[in-house]
Amino acid sequence: QGGARRAGIMTDVHRRFLQLLMTHGVLEERGVRRLQKHCYRVHGRTAAVEELEDFINNINSVLESLYIEIKKGATEDDGRPVYALVNLATTPVSKMASDFAENELDLFRKALELIIDSETGFASSTNILNLVDQLKGKKMRKKEAEQVLQKFVQNKWLIEKEGEFTLHSRAILEMEQYIRETYPDAVKTCNICHGLLIQGQSCETCGIRMHLPCVAKYFRSAPEPRCPHCNDYWPHEIPEVFNPDKEREAGTSKANKKPSRSRQH
Amino acid sequence: MPRGQKSKLRAREKRHQARSEAQRAQDAQATAAEEEQPSTSSSSPSGGSSQDEEKPSTSQAQPNTGRYHRTPLDDTAILLVQFLLRKYNMREPITKEDMIKHVIKKHKVHFREILRKASELMVLAFGIDLKEVDPTRHRYALISKLQRTNDDRLRGEEIMPQTGLLMTVLCVIFMKGNCATEKDMWEVLNVMGIYADKKHFIYGDPKKLITEDWVQERYLLYRQVSNSNPPCREFLWGPRAYAETSKMKVLEFLAKVHDTVPSAFPSWYEEALQDEEERARARFTALVHTGALATGPSMANFGSFSHLY
Repeated sequence: QGGARRAGIMTDVHRRFLQLLMTHGVLEERGVRRLQKHCYRVHGRTAAVEELEDFINNINSVLESLYIEIKKGATEDDGRPVYALVNLATTPVSKMASDFAENELDLFRKALELIIDSETGFASSTNILNLVDQLKGKKMRKKEAEQVLQKFVQNKWLIEKEGEFTLHSRAILEMEQYIRETYPDAVKTCNICHGLLIQGQSCETCGIRMHLPCVAKYFRSAPEPRCPHCNDYWPHEIPEVFNPDKEREAGTSKANKKPSRSRQH
Repeated sequence: MPRGQKSKLRAREKRHQARSEAQRAQDAQATAAEEEQPSTSSSSPSGGSSQDEEKPSTSQAQPNTGRYHRTPLDDTAILLVQFLLRKYNMREPITKEDMIKHVIKKHKVHFREILRKASELMVLAFGIDLKEVDPTRHRYALISKLQRTNDDRLRGEEIMPQTGLLMTVLCVIFMKGNCATEKDMWEVLNVMGIYADKKHFIYGDPKKLITEDWVQERYLLYRQVSNSNPPCREFLWGPRAYAETSKMKVLEFLAKVHDTVPSAFPSWYEEALQDEEERARARFTALVHTGALATGPSMANFGSFSHLY
């Protein structure tokens, strides 16, 4: 018999939480905590809300047998912790298969490849659209491809900034493994956390790369930032560490204007 | 910060601990064996269309869980669960044909059994029921077994391309004192490059959308202005807009678009706050009167719980 083997752990609180989390695709930690509190409240649980990490680990131990898990990651540009319910199995592009047509999936694959190969982690709309003739499946015109790219943005697979596209944190969470396996030579990783790196800063001397939030943490109180690998002076602006409390009291979004991405020279 | 290997290992260790405390000690053993597989190499077929044998396996060797023997039908049921979850989020109806085409494939002879297994898993893990809503055309729907409360405010936005436009329209109506003339509306939309007589690459036929489709879906009211000469029409929020969103949410949307906060628009913010208060009061009253909470065997885990509020 399948399903919840740990009868003591999976309750309606957890089920409601999952149902709500799913509707978001990917959700920031603040939202996740609100969700958790809400679910406890609805089910009359007046006892202290379980620590989020344990709450999620409990759920994951049950979902494990379904090859599904709540995965935690962070946005690459400002290090906000985010959570998503991801499938661990099946190739990720085929996860999108029931939602998109063959030529749309191929467009995504092409965009993904351009993003991974790029220096900045961004692929320009023009470059992606130029590949429209090479797509598998039904012929797609550029105008249509523009719409499809917007669909990917709506569904949180891609982010668009000033006409360029990069991977949404959701896509990184769901596809990290697949990307590492499929593009082992092109893939970039962060020197600090060793996670997949799409956007980040790099050392101009030795070429190692770091996520922006990893840079922020690593150089937090360093008077003179130096490359952890070759010790050369770190030439980029050091972003601020993400502080959820600071944001709440400032009340404005993006109170600290950080560079949204670092470019290579 | 993206989870590195250490934090993943730590989480795994924690899970291992939790599990070894559970009753099924042998499960812990079996899953420990499974977990030791290093990060994975699922074979990656060339594309979505050419996947033949899809097994939910994260390592090349089929993990022998040992807790119970998993058949290929079990594996397919798991894949079906994943497929259904996606459909649940998109709020799309599901057909038997879809399920067979995308998931079940060569096992279609066992459709009933796979469906049954998947349904059980959906209920146990997510509290979601798979119901056949149209037996002749084999259409199914996914319905939450959990009692509806005011979850809707915490749901993710509907992942539809038109959502942004709908929010904009609701926003215009709100800003014009909860009622906007057709002229007002198009003035704003034209600035955004959306015209009544031009096909839009995302929104299609915008005029039809706001004067027909959304009216039909009860998001908007579109009515004649009384005593107008020449006759003209106006837009108001429909009942579904009131149910699914709120003035505050719409104001938050506007604030985001302008990279600011709702309180930057003091008079609208006042109105939105008042609206929030009224909603909270209504919710409270409803809860007290209906004794809101669903009970069932699964609630037994909480023991006896004191009534909310």
